[in-house]
Amino acid sequence: MTTPTAQMVRIMIDGMTVNVPKGTLVIEAARRVGVMIPHFCYHPKLKPDANCRMCLVEIEKVPKLQTACSTPVDEGMNVRTATTVVNDAHKSVLEFILANHPLDCPVCDQGGKCDLQDFSHQYTATSRFTETKRVFQKEYFSPLIETQMNRCVQCLRCVRYCDEVMDVKALAPVGRGTMTEIKHFGFHPLDCEFCGGCVQICPVGAITSRLSMYEYRPWMLKRAETICGYCGDGCQMTVQTKGQELIEVNSAHGAGRNNGDLCARGFFGFHAASHPQRLTHPLIRRHGALVQVTWEEALEYVADRVNEIKAAHGGPSFGGLISGRCTNEELYLFQKFLRMAIGTNHIDSSARYGHVNGLQAMQLVQGTHRWTVTFEDILDADVLILVGTNITETNPITGLKVKEAVKKRQATLITIESLEPVVDTMSNIANLSHHHFRIPTSDTHHAIVGLVKAVLEQNLTQPDLAQRHPTYVNAMTSALQQISWQDLQAATGIEPDAFVRAAKVAAGARRVVIMAGQLLLRSEQGYSGCLTLLDLLLLTGKLDAPGCGFAPLAEENNDQGAIEMGTVTELLPGAQPITNDTERERIAKQWKGELPTDKGASLIEMLERARVGSLKAMFIVGENPVGSLPAVIHAEASLRNLDLLVCQELFLTETAALAHVVLPAASSLEKHGTFTNTEGHVQAVRPAIEPVGDSRPDWEIFSALSILLNSPMEYAESKEILKEIRSLIPGYSSLGPTPLPPKVDHSAVDRYLTDGYQRDLASRYHPISRASRPDGTVRLELAQSLFHSGKLSTRSKGLLQVEGSGRLRISPSDAARFALSDGDRVRLSSTSGEMTTEVKIMERVPQGTAWFPSHFGQAAVQLFECAIDPITHVPSFRTATVSMMKVA
Amino acid sequence: MAGTGKDVSSETLGEAGTPLFIVRLACNDPMPKHELILLKNMMQPGYTGSLADYEKTGGYQALRNTLGKLAPADVTAIVRKSGLRGRGGAGFPTGVKWGFLPKDYQGPRYLCCNADESEPGTFKDRQLMERDPHQVLEGIVLACYAIGSETAYIYIRGEMVLGSKILEHAIGEARAAGYIGKNVLGSGINVDVWVHRGAGAYICGEETALLESLEGKRGLPRIKPPFPATHGLYNKPTVVNNVETLANLPHIITRGPEWFAAIGSPPKSTGTRVFCVSGHVKRPGNYEVPMGMTVRELVYEYAGGMRSDKPLKAFIPGGASAPFLTPAHLDVKLDFEHVAAAGSMLGSGGVTVMEEGTSMVWAALRLMEFFYHESCGKCSPCREGSSWLVQTMRRIFAKRGRMEDLETLLDLCKNIAGRTVCAFGDAEVAPIQSTLKHWRHEYVDLINEAEAANLIRPEPVARR
Repeated sequence: MTTPTAQMVRIMIDGMTVNVPKGTLVIEAARRVGVMIPHFCYHPKLKPDANCRMCLVEIEKVPKLQTACSTPVDEGMNVRTATTVVNDAHKSVLEFILANHPLDCPVCDQGGKCDLQDFSHQYTATSRFTETKRVFQKEYFSPLIETQMNRCVQCLRCVRYCDEVMDVKALAPVGRGTMTEIKHFGFHPLDCEFCGGCVQICPVGAITSRLSMYEYRPWMLKRAETICGYCGDGCQMTVQTKGQELIEVNSAHGAGRNNGDLCARGFFGFHAASHPQRLTHPLIRRHGALVQVTWEEALEYVADRVNEIKAAHGGPSFGGLISGRCTNEELYLFQKFLRMAIGTNHIDSSARYGHVNGLQAMQLVQGTHRWTVTFEDILDADVLILVGTNITETNPITGLKVKEAVKKRQATLITIESLEPVVDTMSNIANLSHHHFRIPTSDTHHAIVGLVKAVLEQNLTQPDLAQRHPTYVNAMTSALQQISWQDLQAATGIEPDAFVRAAKVAAGARRVVIMAGQLLLRSEQGYSGCLTLLDLLLLTGKLDAPGCGFAPLAEENNDQGAIEMGTVTELLPGAQPITNDTERERIAKQWKGELPTDKGASLIEMLERARVGSLKAMFIVGENPVGSLPAVIHAEASLRNLDLLVCQELFLTETAALAHVVLPAASSLEKHGTFTNTEGHVQAVRPAIEPVGDSRPDWEIFSALSILLNSPMEYAESKEILKEIRSLIPGYSSLGPTPLPPKVDHSAVDRYLTDGYQRDLASRYHPISRASRPDGTVRLELAQSLFHSGKLSTRSKGLLQVEGSGRLRISPSDAARFALSDGDRVRLSSTSGEMTTEVKIMERVPQGTAWFPSHFGQAAVQLFECAIDPITHVPSFRTATVSMMKVA
Repeated sequence: MAGTGKDVSSETLGEAGTPLFIVRLACNDPMPKHELILLKNMMQPGYTGSLADYEKTGGYQALRNTLGKLAPADVTAIVRKSGLRGRGGAGFPTGVKWGFLPKDYQGPRYLCCNADESEPGTFKDRQLMERDPHQVLEGIVLACYAIGSETAYIYIRGEMVLGSKILEHAIGEARAAGYIGKNVLGSGINVDVWVHRGAGAYICGEETALLESLEGKRGLPRIKPPFPATHGLYNKPTVVNNVETLANLPHIITRGPEWFAAIGSPPKSTGTRVFCVSGHVKRPGNYEVPMGMTVRELVYEYAGGMRSDKPLKAFIPGGASAPFLTPAHLDVKLDFEHVAAAGSMLGSGGVTVMEEGTSMVWAALRLMEFFYHESCGKCSPCREGSSWLVQTMRRIFAKRGRMEDLETLLDLCKNIAGRTVCAFGDAEVAPIQSTLKHWRHEYVDLINEAEAANLIRPEPVARR
C-alpha cells in the first residue's frame, strides 16, 4: 500500500517516464502511463502469485523475462512491454493456455467479457496443439454458482480471493499439473458465504452465476449503477437488465465504498423486485375485502378520509411510520407531508429499532449525528474494537474492511461478541481477533464496563482529563469501584487480566475505531452500551484524536438517512432536535408554514395511542409492525382500531392486509434517489427497470396526496427534492463523492463532561446481579443471517436457495444436551407463546444460546419480551429465555 | 546400496536388543582408492549407525569442539572458506547462503534439511540418513548453531518410511545424550529437530515449495524474491540445506576448511561427492569420490563397467533434470564447472548410464512422463507444456509422429524454459532438448517409419 510519504522512483516504460512510489508493481506503474500488460492471475486486491506467466516483460539488465505482476519497480528501471521477444512470449503463453481450453465460447456466459477471448483476439493467437484435450467430469457445484472446469486457466484468483479477501477459504485447487481443478471441500454442494466474488473475479467462464446461466450476451444488457438496498454498508452495484428482466448484478473493481466487493445479498438477492407477488395496483377495502381500483380512486379516497378525520380530530390524530429502506427524498417528503400537509409530529421510521440508540449517544457525547470516521479509518486503524456486530452476517462489506485491516495491515482486533471462534463455512470475525471476549449478547454491556474499569484502574486515562474534568473522572471512578472484578468475572466468565490486556492495547494505540453492531444497538442496553463505549474513547483521549472514533453500524440501507431527514419524531431535517426553536423557525419559514407544536410520539407510543383510540389514522410505508413486533405490543389490535390505515408496500404484508388502502410502491431498483450509508456517504440510486405494474415511487404518492390535500408539494423529479434538502440542511450541499466526516463538537463534549454524563450514569454502572437460567431452557436470540436482510430478501429466489427457511441454530453441546441432531424439530415455549421449528447445529453458536434468523422470525418474535428504552424509546425484543423440547 | 556386494549382516538399532529396524549393510566392498568422508563410517563392518557407534568413530566431537569455543560467525566463516557447495542440485556456496540471513533479526529463524530426495536416479541422501543418521544430525546442530536457529525441520520424502523412523530414533538418542534439545551440551544453546514426512510430490524438493508444504499448505513454489533467507518458513529467515551438504559439516569443522578445500577440484568444486550410479552398469550404487573425477573412471573403475559390455551410449550426469551427455563427454570432469561447460549440470549427483541399443526417444519419453506427472500446475507454460510435450513424445514413440513435431517440440521447450516460477520448467525440457540435439536421427527414423507405413495420424488442425 502506498502512503503519501513513500519514496518516489522514476522508471521508463516503453520509453515513457513515470514516477511512482517505491514498491509499486511494474504492471501498476505501466497502467499509469496507459500501458496495459496482459494478465490473468494478477488482481490488485490479491497478493501477486505470478502463475499465469502472461505478463512477462523485458527489463533492461535482467537476463530473463520478468513477470510484471510480481516485480516491484526500482529506480532507473527500463521496462519494455512491446518488443518482439515480449510479444512472442505472450503469444506462446497464450498458446499454452489455449491448449486444453475447450473453445466453447458460443455457449459460455463469459463470452464477450472474457480476458482469454480478448487476448486471443489481440494476439491473433493460434495453437499448434493437436493432441487430446484434458476433460474434467462435470460436477454439480452449488445452487447459485456454476463451475465449468474445462475453461479454467488455473490462475487461482478465485481461491486467493476467497482466502485473502473474504477469509472464507471455501475453494481450493485439487489435483496436480494439468489435472488441477478448483473445488470446494467435502462431498456436498458448495456451502460458503456465496459472496459471488469468485464469479466476479474469474477472468474466464470457469465460474459463473447460475441465476443468469445461458440468458444473455453482455452486449444485450442495459446497465444501471445504483446502491444496494439490503444493509447500511451502501455498496455500489451494477444492475444489468434485458428489458424489464433483471439478469445480473455485479460491481466493478474500485467501484463505490465497497471497492467492487459484494455479499450474497447484493450479488444474488436482486430477484426480490421481480417477484410475482408484487403489488401492481392500488387496493381499497370494500365490504371487508381489498379490491383493485385506479390510482385516482385510491388517492381521492385517501384525501377524503384524511380531510374527514382531520376535521373531526385534528392533525395530531395522525401518525406515520416509514421504512429506512426508502430514499432520502422519500423520507424527507414523508415527514414534510406529515408535518405540513397533515399537521402531526407523530413520525417514526425503522431507525427506531436500534440506530437511534447509537445516534442519541453520539449526539449527547460528541455532538454529531454521523461517524467521525470513514471506512478508510477502519483500514488504517491500529486497534479495532467490535462490539456485538457479528459483522460477517450483518454488515459484510464493513467486515471486509476489518478483515483487510487485520490481515493485511496488522491492526489489532478486540471483539466483544457471542461468537465461538471456530472454523466453519462462513468467515468468523472471532477467528481473526487478538482479544476475543466471548460473551452472551445480553451480557455485552458487562464486558464494555470491564474495559472501562481496566482503563481507570490501570491509569490509562488521558493525563489531563482528570485535571480538566475532575468531577467526571471521579464520578466514573467511584461508579466503577462499586462493580467488583469478581462480579464481572462471574457475569462474563472472563478473567480481569484479559480486560486489562485489551485495555492496555486500546489505550496505547494511536488510531482506535470502535464499531457497535445490531446485537448491541438493538439490545436493552443499546443506548447505555454506546455511551459506555464513548466513555472508553473519552477516557483514553481517543474521542477527538485523528483516525479514532465511534461507529455504530446501520442495519438498513438508509437508517442514517432516516435520521438526517428528520423522519424520527424527535428530530427535524438535519438531525436537529425538534426542541431547537431557532431551527424550527428557520425550517418553518423555508416551508412557508407552521410546524406542529405537539411533542411527537414514537412508534410504540403511536401504537399505544391507536389502541386506546386517540390516534385515528396512520400512514405506513414499507414497514410491517404486525410482523416484526412481539406479541406483547399488540400491534395488530392497535392497527385494527384505526379509522384509516394507508399502506405503501411492495408486497401484501401482514400489516398491509389490515389496511384500508394499499398503494403499490416502486422498489429501489425502479426509482431515482439517494441513500446515505452507515458512514454518511450520500449515494445516487438509479432505476434499472421501470416500476413494476402500476407501482409508483413513494415520493410521487406523497406528492400527489399533498396536492389533493391542498398543501401542494410538487416536484417534477426526485432531484428537485434533493435540491430542497440541500437548501435546507447546512452542509448537505457540499457533499461530494467523498465527503469529510464531521469533527467532534468540543462544546458538546464539554457539556457532556460537565453534566451530560450524570443523566444515566447510575443506570450504566450499577452492580451486576446475575439471573440464572433454569434447566431445560436456552436463551433464544434473534440473529441476522448473511443471506437475508429484512423481509424483502425472503422474496429473492437466489437467496432462498441458500437459506429457504428459518432454522434454529444451536451449539453442538446443546444439541447433545437435548439429544438433537440436524433437522430435528423442537418446540420452544415461553410465557408469551410457543413455536416449533427445525434445528441446525452450528459450532459458532455459544452454549446455552439459540439463534433464530430474524427475517423468518415471525413466529419466534412472538415469544420475546419487549423492553423500551426510557430515553431513546427504542423497543428491544431480541432475547427471551425459552424452554426447548424435541418433538416428533 | 553401496556396491552390489553380498549383504552379510543384520544389525538392530533398538535398545536392549529389541529389533527396531533391520539395516542391511554391505561390507565386502573393495577398498576405494580415495579416502571416504561421508560413507566412511557405514562402510565399516558392523557399523549400525547407532549413537554409540557414531561416537566411537569420533562422532559429535565437532559439536563439542564448536559449542562455546567457536562463535557462530566463525563456523560460517569456516564453511565459506571450505568452499562447500550445496549438494542438492544448484550448487550454491553454503557459507554464502548462511550469510544472507539478516544479522539483526530478533525473531525465530529456521533450518530446513531438504531430505525430499525425489530426483530420478538419485539415492544418496537416503543412504546417508538410513546408515549414518547421527552424521546428518550433527551437521544439522552445527548449522543451527551457525545461523542462530533453535528449530530444524527435516523434510523427508514420504516414501522413505524407514529413513524417517531411523531419524526419529536417532533424534531420540541424541536428545537423551544432550546433543539435541534444551541447553545442548551445557552450552546454553537450544536446538530442536523435527522430522516431517512429505506426501509424495516431487516439487516439494524445490526449497520454497518445501517451505509451503511444511507450513501445511499445498506445495507450490513461491515467487522469488523474497528469498527464504529473509522470508522463509512462516515468513521467518530460513536456510534450506541438502542432507549431504549438512553431513559434510562435522568433518569440515573437525579437520579444518583447508583440508576440505584441498579435496576435489579446487577452487570452485571442493570436497567429495556421493555419486549415485545407476543404469546399465555392473555395480550400480553410491560411490563417494572427490569432485573432478571423470565419468569414465566412475563408470568403468568404480561401477564395474557396462552391464553387458556393450559400449556406453549416453549418460545423465546429475539427475533427471540434467541434459543427456554422450560418450564424447566421458572424460568430462565431474565438477560444477566442467559439467556445465559440457552442456549439462552436476545437479544432484545422480549418474544414469545407458548402453548402446537404448532408444533415446524412449529415454526422453520416460523422463517426460515423470515430469508430466510431477508438474505442480502452478505456471501455465509448465502445466500445459508438460502435457503437450508428453503427448507428442508418446505419439512419436508410437510411430505416429510427423516431421513438424520436432520443430514444435523444440519451440515448446524454448517457450517453457526460463518462463516459470521455479527451475522445474528448465528441468523438464532438458531430456527432450538434449536427446534431440545428440540423437535427432532416432526421432527422424521413428517418424520416417511412420510415414513409410502410412500409419494413421490425426491431420494437423489450425486452431484459433
